[in-house]
Amino acid sequence: MRYLPLIWTAVMRKPMRTLLTLLSVAVAFILFGLMFGLNASFDIVVARARADRIFTGARFGNGNGGGIPIAVAHQIAAMPGVKVVTAVNFLPGYVQDSKYSVFLVMLDENARKVVEDWPIPAEVWNALHKDRTGIVMSKIQAARWHKKVGDTFTMISRAVKRADGSNTWTFKILAIGDDLPEQSNGYVLGNYDYIDKAKPLADQGKISEVDLLANDPATATELAQRIDQAFANSATPLNTTTDKMARSSKDFNGLDIKAITRGIALAGMFMVLFLTGNGIAESVRERFAEFATLKTIGFSDRAVTALVVLEAALPCILGAALGVGIAAIMAHQLPGLMPPGFGLPPPTVSPVLMLWAAASAFVVALLSAALPILRLTRMDIASALSGRA
Amino acid sequence: MLRQIWIVSVLNFKSLRSRLWQSMVIVVGLAATIGVMLSMLSVSAGMREAYAKAGDPNRAIVVSKGVDQEGSSAITRAMAPLIAVAPGIAKDKDGKPLADRSLTMGVPVLRKDGTKGNTVMRGFGDKGPGVRPEVKIVAGRMFQPGKREMIAGLGAQMMFQHMQVGDKVILPDGQWPIVGIFTSGDQLEGQLIGDSETLLTALHRANYNSMLVRLASPDSLAALKSALTTNPALSVDVMRHSEWYARVANQQTFALALLGYIVGVVMAIGALFGCLNTMYAAVSTRGREIATLRALGYGAFPVAVSVILEAVLLSVTGALLGAGIAWAFYDGKLDLFGNTIFHLSVSPKQIELGVIWAIVVALLGGLFPSIRAARRPVVEALRAT
Repeated sequence: MRYLPLIWTAVMRKPMRTLLTLLSVAVAFILFGLMFGLNASFDIVVARARADRIFTGARFGNGNGGGIPIAVAHQIAAMPGVKVVTAVNFLPGYVQDSKYSVFLVMLDENARKVVEDWPIPAEVWNALHKDRTGIVMSKIQAARWHKKVGDTFTMISRAVKRADGSNTWTFKILAIGDDLPEQSNGYVLGNYDYIDKAKPLADQGKISEVDLLANDPATATELAQRIDQAFANSATPLNTTTDKMARSSKDFNGLDIKAITRGIALAGMFMVLFLTGNGIAESVRERFAEFATLKTIGFSDRAVTALVVLEAALPCILGAALGVGIAAIMAHQLPGLMPPGFGLPPPTVSPVLMLWAAASAFVVALLSAALPILRLTRMDIASALSGRA
Repeated sequence: MLRQIWIVSVLNFKSLRSRLWQSMVIVVGLAATIGVMLSMLSVSAGMREAYAKAGDPNRAIVVSKGVDQEGSSAITRAMAPLIAVAPGIAKDKDGKPLADRSLTMGVPVLRKDGTKGNTVMRGFGDKGPGVRPEVKIVAGRMFQPGKREMIAGLGAQMMFQHMQVGDKVILPDGQWPIVGIFTSGDQLEGQLIGDSETLLTALHRANYNSMLVRLASPDSLAALKSALTTNPALSVDVMRHSEWYARVANQQTFALALLGYIVGVVMAIGALFGCLNTMYAAVSTRGREIATLRALGYGAFPVAVSVILEAVLLSVTGALLGAGIAWAFYDGKLDLFGNTIFHLSVSPKQIELGVIWAIVVALLGGLFPSIRAARRPVVEALRAT
């Protein structure tokens, strides 16, 4: 640590060069943070996908408000390989003004078994099915509508009309639940019985989606295809997909997102490697006689190497810290800025990612210092001292 | 003045070799930036080109007023004959107008890699082949009007599973068999085609989505447009098919292109800092040389310009290198986005864009160093080591 002043003077010798290097490294690490953060978000979502969970909805037309007869859910429940089935009805709408949209998911009593991994405690499920006008909001949604437990929540749905002709639906908030990584907009859950009985008689008994668990996760894909085939010639053909398939990162409309983000991050690192390598080589070249002096007074090769590596590492690590920090701030703001339904989750800049960034910065510093260090260890001290090296 | 700039610049470039590695920093920085940006833009550019080819300027499309997607447009049975008799529409050999009633709907399909995808099922009326003569059957046969059967494009066959003659596709009223495979040389090849009337029944729909007409001549569009838009019984928009496709392409590719540009801007900023670094170093290395020139009488302005020119030369070289790499890796590769099958495109227009970006980065990156070079007191510079 007593050699810190040496490193500092080395770095501050050409402050403009150090600053520009640091800024360039920071920019490359903004990309690093955003790109690998995006991959991390995909990984989290994919890891949470259950291999035995399957969703199916109407193959054509919208299932909002109801498009499939509930008998379909019962038929699926009777198919071999199906463990438990829940009927789901969507209630899309808005609060006061049509630009404040909200999406309610109305569930039946089996839902708690199909989404048992959701952070909703048993008492809340019980309350939801006891109080049929009740809803459960996630924290994000509760914050958006400024609601707390016990408040009433009123929304208007153009798609779903009540039996009395009105489009206004009022609910009571029973609980506020934790958010899920795969639902960046939060969730609002309600009671299917309530919405079904409140609709006009002709519209009753219809659902939007069937969610189910397979008996054996290994057969989930085959079961999904079987369900599609079973209803292929019916009045309501279905489109069935497994949880894993729905969350795959290879599937952004056909593009492999992870490969693209990795490529971008690597290109950024390569650009920076060249810059820092050049900077350090130049700095060492300028101070060759200085290093020769250090070696003369007794600095070992190892000490000189350490000095150079630390000098290279300082702008790299600081730049990486700055870049990842900015990336973290941007990742926080992004959900608000991106158009809805864009399809990409917001990047997650986690402490693990920061460690990776620091490690990469160090590797870049090492690689860029490699050749100059080689020169230093091989130098002929006498000619270096005289300035002729 | 120009002669001075020329001489100083040539001197500059001759000494470039002694600053080779620093100069490479700019080249590599721009190569990485433009290479990545053009690679990302190759998807949106390729899609736009695929759509541009699909829109024949001799065709016009008629949709409901104010819609931006064919799926939201509705042409009723009553409107169709009114549109067909409008002026400007070409006639077939029987003297009937080449105006076709068209339907469109999304159909879920399975991609070759097992993931779920979507394609479009298009309805052709009886004038379909007349309005779109580029559609040719290459396997099996054409579907018969009134029958629940369809043909699939060669592109769809390449990208999706179960697209052979004889395979069945699930539609709302059951499964329809594929009886033929067609080519059309444009993005229609990624879609399925069936009979409009039969589809209307199958989908429980009352209205068509659009009408596609063959113009008597490219200039007839004006006559057709004014006739249809001034007809009080109709509320429609009329535009050239190519213009419609350009609009659709822009919608679909907007987000993707935006992403490409954002990444490009971020990397360009990184490259800019590298460029600044190198040019400052270059100017300080050449300190004495520049001072000598100025002492000899060369103006400060030519010196400054020569510095900027050096930056421009290096960055354009880097941009062309990066563009070349992007072109070599990606141009022409077949890709799939949504239901559009297209070739990735790194075209001259894209490369031109890359070069312009490089020039902008060079101008910004060379400006301050060039000012410093021009304003540094000559005597002090002459004394510098």
